[in-house]
Amino acid sequence: MPKSKAKGRISRRKFIEGTGVAVVAATAAPAIHAQSPPETAPGVPHTAIRVTVNGKAQRIEVEDRWSIAEMLRDHLGLTGTKIGCDRGECGACTVLLDGKPVYSCSNLAVWADGRTIQTVEGLARGDELDPLQHAFIEHDAPQCGFCTSGQLMSAKALLNSNAHPTREEVQAAMTGNICRCSNYNRYVEAVLAAAAMPAGKRSNSTAGRKRAKQGGLS
Amino acid sequence: MSETLKPLKTVGHPTPRIDALERVTGAGHYTGDVKLPGMLYARVLRSPHAHARIRKIDVSKAEALPGVKAVVTLENCNFVWGAGSVAGGIQYNDEIKKNTRQRRHAFNNPVRFVGDPVAAVAATDRHIAEDALHLIAVDYEVLPHVLEPEEALKPGAPQIWPEGNFALNPRNEQQPMGQKRGNVEEGFRASDHVFEDRYSTAFVHNAQMEPRACVAQWEGDKLTVYTPTGGIANCRHDIARDLGLPDDNVRVICQYMGGNFGNKNQNQDADLITASLAKLAGAPVKLELSRKEDFIGMHGRWPTVQYYKVGVSNDGTLKAIQLRGFSGMGGYRKNSGAIGGIECYQCPNIETVITPVYTNKTVSGNFRGPEYPQGYFGIQSMMDDVAYKMKMDPVDFVLKNMTRKANDSAEYTNYTLEECIRRGAEAFEWKKRWRQSPGSDPGPVKRGAGFAFMSFRSGVGHSNAILRVDSKGRYFVHVGVTDVGAGAKTTMGLIAAEALEVPLSQIEVVWGDTGRCPFSVGESGSRTTIMTGHAVIEAAQDLKKQIAEKGLPKGSDFLTASAGPTPRIQGGKVRNTFGAHFVEVEVDTELGRAHVTKYLCVHDCGRVMNPLTGISQIKGGAIMGIGMALHEDLVYDRASGAPLSAGYYGARISTHRDVPDVEVMFIESDDGYGPYGAKSMGESSKVPAVAAVGNAVFNAIGRRMKDLPITKDKIIGALA
Amino acid sequence: MKAFTNANPRDLPHALTLIQQAQSSGRHASIAGGGSDLLGMIKERIVEPDVLINLRALKGLDQVAAEKSGLKIGGLTTLDALSRHQTIRRQYTVLAEAAESVATPQIRNVGTIAGNVCQRPWCWYFRNGFPCYKAGGNQCFSINGENQFHAIFGGGPSFIVHPSDTAPALVALDAKFHIAGPKGDRRLSPVDFFVLPRQNAARENSLANDEVLASIEIPSPRAGTRSTYHKVMDREAWTHAVVSAAIVLEMDKDVCRSARIVLGGVAPVPWRVPDAERVLAGQRITPELAAKAGEVAVAEAKPLAKNAYKVPLTKAVVRRTILQLVQRG
Repeated sequence: MPKSKAKGRISRRKFIEGTGVAVVAATAAPAIHAQSPPETAPGVPHTAIRVTVNGKAQRIEVEDRWSIAEMLRDHLGLTGTKIGCDRGECGACTVLLDGKPVYSCSNLAVWADGRTIQTVEGLARGDELDPLQHAFIEHDAPQCGFCTSGQLMSAKALLNSNAHPTREEVQAAMTGNICRCSNYNRYVEAVLAAAAMPAGKRSNSTAGRKRAKQGGLS
Repeated sequence: MSETLKPLKTVGHPTPRIDALERVTGAGHYTGDVKLPGMLYARVLRSPHAHARIRKIDVSKAEALPGVKAVVTLENCNFVWGAGSVAGGIQYNDEIKKNTRQRRHAFNNPVRFVGDPVAAVAATDRHIAEDALHLIAVDYEVLPHVLEPEEALKPGAPQIWPEGNFALNPRNEQQPMGQKRGNVEEGFRASDHVFEDRYSTAFVHNAQMEPRACVAQWEGDKLTVYTPTGGIANCRHDIARDLGLPDDNVRVICQYMGGNFGNKNQNQDADLITASLAKLAGAPVKLELSRKEDFIGMHGRWPTVQYYKVGVSNDGTLKAIQLRGFSGMGGYRKNSGAIGGIECYQCPNIETVITPVYTNKTVSGNFRGPEYPQGYFGIQSMMDDVAYKMKMDPVDFVLKNMTRKANDSAEYTNYTLEECIRRGAEAFEWKKRWRQSPGSDPGPVKRGAGFAFMSFRSGVGHSNAILRVDSKGRYFVHVGVTDVGAGAKTTMGLIAAEALEVPLSQIEVVWGDTGRCPFSVGESGSRTTIMTGHAVIEAAQDLKKQIAEKGLPKGSDFLTASAGPTPRIQGGKVRNTFGAHFVEVEVDTELGRAHVTKYLCVHDCGRVMNPLTGISQIKGGAIMGIGMALHEDLVYDRASGAPLSAGYYGARISTHRDVPDVEVMFIESDDGYGPYGAKSMGESSKVPAVAAVGNAVFNAIGRRMKDLPITKDKIIGALA
Repeated sequence: MKAFTNANPRDLPHALTLIQQAQSSGRHASIAGGGSDLLGMIKERIVEPDVLINLRALKGLDQVAAEKSGLKIGGLTTLDALSRHQTIRRQYTVLAEAAESVATPQIRNVGTIAGNVCQRPWCWYFRNGFPCYKAGGNQCFSINGENQFHAIFGGGPSFIVHPSDTAPALVALDAKFHIAGPKGDRRLSPVDFFVLPRQNAARENSLANDEVLASIEIPSPRAGTRSTYHKVMDREAWTHAVVSAAIVLEMDKDVCRSARIVLGGVAPVPWRVPDAERVLAGQRITPELAAKAGEVAVAEAKPLAKNAYKVPLTKAVVRRTILQLVQRG
């Protein structure tokens, strides 16, 4: 039985401890990511840029026409950022560019030269999920999950600048992120819950264990 | 009345999704994330004309572009896309494919709508593929087009198929859909009042967040297809049949999928096109559709025109209902085009005649509760209107006239509709919020309340599951589900844990891969929990028995149990789920803005397997319904037949700011037929939503909005 | 996307040089501010640049200078920065509110004031590749087509509506538009900057192909000035204005000394309604007077087949926005 090759550094055990979720495994099909270096097409204008992605400084040769989303997904293997419309209409591709949420489909990679990008893959710190990720899990914020990375990044930017937003502020900050499953209520609840977590306990898995006991989950 | 259900150990408790970690860390692999060594990228050239005959396609310049590895057109990719022309509301099968005269191919000539595929290119990168499309020269003979179903049936209308625009059924007959009971003419004669009206509903797109993508890879004559589908088993069989391969030579994988809502159970033309390109190029190919292509190339809900005639007696008892309906199918009849809802009323005389009509718009098909949200909007707006005209409270009118037996003949397996309505009305404070005199609020900003009710199929049927246990007591649940977003993987895990009497932590679910999973009906028709759930329970019982007899296996051995039950409902009964939605809207009559201020859903879905995900399902359907009622549309230019508002911006899909807090109340009952009492859920929450919003708008402004969506031009126009 | 070269200018003169160089060698240059909308049009092949001049590379053009005489806003100031700028929120409220009403946070974080003022129409015929006036063709498909979102004022031969939210606000604030070009700078009043289709059917403003909207100046408001922007959308976010009103009132206690009323979403340019402004000037504003201003504002409206609803809608927006502003105090 091939085991899930969850990318990143978060072990399932940590996830489970952190959220109070029962230890259920979901077994994915074999890994389907070919590792290939970024490749620009011959004869197409390209540029070497320096960009810090999830804390890691990179030098990458990009075609001038590549969007940030394209660079991340196809050439840096960061497929957590989704492309839902490629026209700045849906928000699935939202990443933080120098800390601010932007549509990575509507910004060229060359424009990110010298700047920092944070994607969903950069939300967790080592083994610890971001409080927003905890809250998203507990409040069933993702349904199909395709818009989730974008919702998370918009929420992250909001909480970075406004630690205790009102419901209306959450809706306003996330209004550029469409959810066709229409789980909007859950997303807002989850962001408010993350904001309400006491600072000290936000990324602490003890809270999760306690909740698990109270909830009586196996 | 429902009784209190006995609590279970695992099922019925709010449980986060078993794959929630992947969903919040970006680690879930959706089809578009698949990248294979040497993979090419594909793009599709689509017809810019609503109706045209292709005289000639010259692909030589595209083929000559460096980086282009394969180009396909009707000439070298002439597969019948069976599921694209099912010609009815039934599951596509071999018999239908053989019979159907009006067949859809992967590429068609003539092309019948703006967006009909004409050619496709695979190249070393997506930009080259896209550049190559612009080098393909197509010589079109533009034909006259027709966009509206009623116009398409008029004499002299452009003919989209040689047999005419009345779409054939699987037996190649021009047969309207419908039902007949009693004699409506006699019913109208016996009525004290007869009311007539016309309602219409718009094409709304499924618009699931993940745009269509497909990756195809050949190894000899074996094909692996990564594609977004909620029905891997159906999809595999469809692909195999269309390409002329044995089922065993095709493997369909869908690990994560960005929403379904009804347009992803069967295979798609994209699968056939991608497989053809991969074969020709001798390399794996990934096809990606743009959002606009997804809007016009994949299907959405069929638009309808509905003419009602309703007869009632002085005391408000229904005597006769007649519906003459027309559904716009687009250029191909992918699904039924039915218009549902009349069966929700108890009435001795009923006649419905529904004509599925070809038009040169984008193709229509199943979308969350296929024939109901639009049909319910029509009939429940009509009946709401009749109630007011009879000076009755719409809730009282419904309680008097709603269905209490399926089709007024067969019994339901259990019946909680009245309880849903009564408890909802109480919790919503209907009497307080509903305006006896519609539109009576002073000033330009008016509130009002509306409601609609729902009964939706919840049948049982065949599905499979395989369970295995290893020496460490780990249980592997192999099910052919994808989890389109509703939480099927988690539900299957919960059911298995309950049935095996082990903690959920010992369960590992294996899903979304025909190479490793048995048949499942697929996530459409709200059937997975019931049908695949039963199979899981049966396999679990077998496995438990084996363990009791033999103990846990030793070393590297497994014990395996497989089940494929086909349960049946006894005694000719009908199994349905019930619900009622109560809505308060605020309408700014001067700005034409309608906004939902309170929304309550009451649903009996049997036992709720996982309240955490279940509530999300109900909320989602209601909010989608609000969007369909108030915003969504695909506007066409009449002169050219081109769509103008494809995409999230154009179709005005709801945003965070558009939605109210939706309250959800479950009435849990157990009729003995569901796995642990479960009934269907996913689709049912959208079914009454549109009508409920429309009825609330009427109550607020005193004008009946008969054409969807209820946009500001219509609100302002109605009050001018 | 068709291949193009991204060019990062060092400063404004260098940007102008790069544009000129491209054009003199027969290459099509597009100028990107925030670039969101431009990239969308490039993907749709409505624009096919060979060179993209990335103004984001410029330094210093994204600053707001608030002085006694007024504001100077660099063309590259983001909509987000404008909407959060304290002085603008306080003294030039209409502009902050207009900026905040644009699209979504993600777009406002990169979208610039110059880009918003100069964005191409969102008419669905233009955006879907119809060969209309705006695409260099010679017809307007909306006239006999789907014109529910089109112009009720100033239309012909094209009936697009100007898509910008900040433009009506800027006109209401009597802004001046600073244009940098190879032949020197120009400073234009709104009336000279925005052009009607009958003046130039292919364009919405008087910028030449080789010019850049470098900055915008707004005179300091007189004491007693208050302003607001009211945008009507057909969902609650991320649409362009169906109708909007940017209104600036100069009040002396409860008497209106002067008013500027500029409408969005109804005309091919931000549409000032001087007759309605005169209704208010020198008067105590009552509900009746506001209603009269609304009536007068739409007196000249010439709706098309499907946009007549915009007439009562505009009337109501003008009336209510005036009253709201008076009550705001």
